[in-house]
Amino acid sequence: MKNWKLKEIVVLSVLSVVFAVVYLAFLPVGKLLSGLFGPIGYDFIFGIWFIVSIIAAYILRRPGAAFLSETIAATIEVLLGNASGPILILTGMVQGLGAESAFALTRYRSYHLSVLMLAGVMAAVFSFAWGYFQSGYAALSGGYVAAMLIVRMVSGAVISGVFGKAIADGLARTGVLSSFALGRELRKKRAS
Amino acid sequence: MSLHTLNPAMKACTIIGLVFVLAFLFDPVTPFVFTGFTIALTLIFGRFRKRVYLLYLSAFTLFAFGMLWTTIAFADEPARPGETIRLAGFLFPKEDLLMALALSFRVMAFAALSLLFVFTTNMVHFILSLIQQLKLPPKLAYGLMAGYRFLPMMKEEFDQIRAAHRIRGVTESKSVKGRFKQLKRYSIPLLAGAVRKAERTAAAMESKGFTGERSRTFYRPMKISTKDWGFPLLMFTVLGALIVLSIQLDYFQWYNGQF
Repeated sequence: MKNWKLKEIVVLSVLSVVFAVVYLAFLPVGKLLSGLFGPIGYDFIFGIWFIVSIIAAYILRRPGAAFLSETIAATIEVLLGNASGPILILTGMVQGLGAESAFALTRYRSYHLSVLMLAGVMAAVFSFAWGYFQSGYAALSGGYVAAMLIVRMVSGAVISGVFGKAIADGLARTGVLSSFALGRELRKKRAS
Repeated sequence: MSLHTLNPAMKACTIIGLVFVLAFLFDPVTPFVFTGFTIALTLIFGRFRKRVYLLYLSAFTLFAFGMLWTTIAFADEPARPGETIRLAGFLFPKEDLLMALALSFRVMAFAALSLLFVFTTNMVHFILSLIQQLKLPPKLAYGLMAGYRFLPMMKEEFDQIRAAHRIRGVTESKSVKGRFKQLKRYSIPLLAGAVRKAERTAAAMESKGFTGERSRTFYRPMKISTKDWGFPLLMFTVLGALIVLSIQLDYFQWYNGQF
């Protein structure tokens, strides 16, 4: 935290606040899908709930960005009124750690699309392991649970990895990120 | 005792501790009674608009009910299929029904606890207490407060962007595909505006001498006094008593490889 610039922290928290609202907005969508398909309904769009960690890490490129942003977003979600209550903060931490692990694996050097997708998959795996315990997936039948995991991993890779990158790149093209890691990289690319 | 004057960090830690204990309980009665207790406590010792509270509570009840339904509908094969309960004309395996009830009441207990916190805590006091009691780095904490303040401004900004698009003749679409495109059209400008504002805010904070060091003074010092310990004492005593009662009356269910 010491070598973070203040503006990076404020941007991190703004992103977390914005996506906390997005996360809440997608809850009814998940509810609707789970009404149609059962508990697996949530897994189709589960990637949306990891997206801030991938966006923040991709823009700021600092160790801890993925973990912090997801944790903050979850906390704000609870404060705004998520029915799952304080346990959601732990869920956010677990998801953030999952995404963080992928970036740590590359020692925070690579932010290629494949790494971002891996971060989404890792967040899905971590959150699934947590959900298995916390939401009681073991009460469901085995094949169904396996299908849930696979769908969630794909969702994590596509929604948070691919869409997350698209949003961050779109943001970088507007030029507002010029003093952040992603903006600097874009400028370097354009110069060469 | 008023819930509003309790130290926020103490309140938060107590609630997280309670959530942790509740997560390991698998009988339906204990979380049900504890939910009732928490709601009563919130209503008696909290000062807020009761109607809003009840609105939230009913939404969360609906959520818990949905969970009850899906847990039963998608349950694993019961270990003892012979034991069933008849309910509303349907036969349910007893084991599945009890498990589903336990999970839903647990969700309700979590919701009641989080509402207790949300309805009786000032966000700024909470963050100040996090810095002063739980040693959150001030740099992160004040950055967070600044970010949180943007939330109400976002709505305004969104309306502005929308109006700007419409006045230039970009019509709003009703189809799903059109709405998706629309979302993209709004989200980038919205985020860009937020990032710009964040940068300006950070510059303003630093220009006024904010360094983010721990050795700072506070306009509002947050303290933990002896009466703050009453809250965790009360909550854990009640939960403990309920658990003891459940062991005595023999309906106690601990985490036992169910998951």
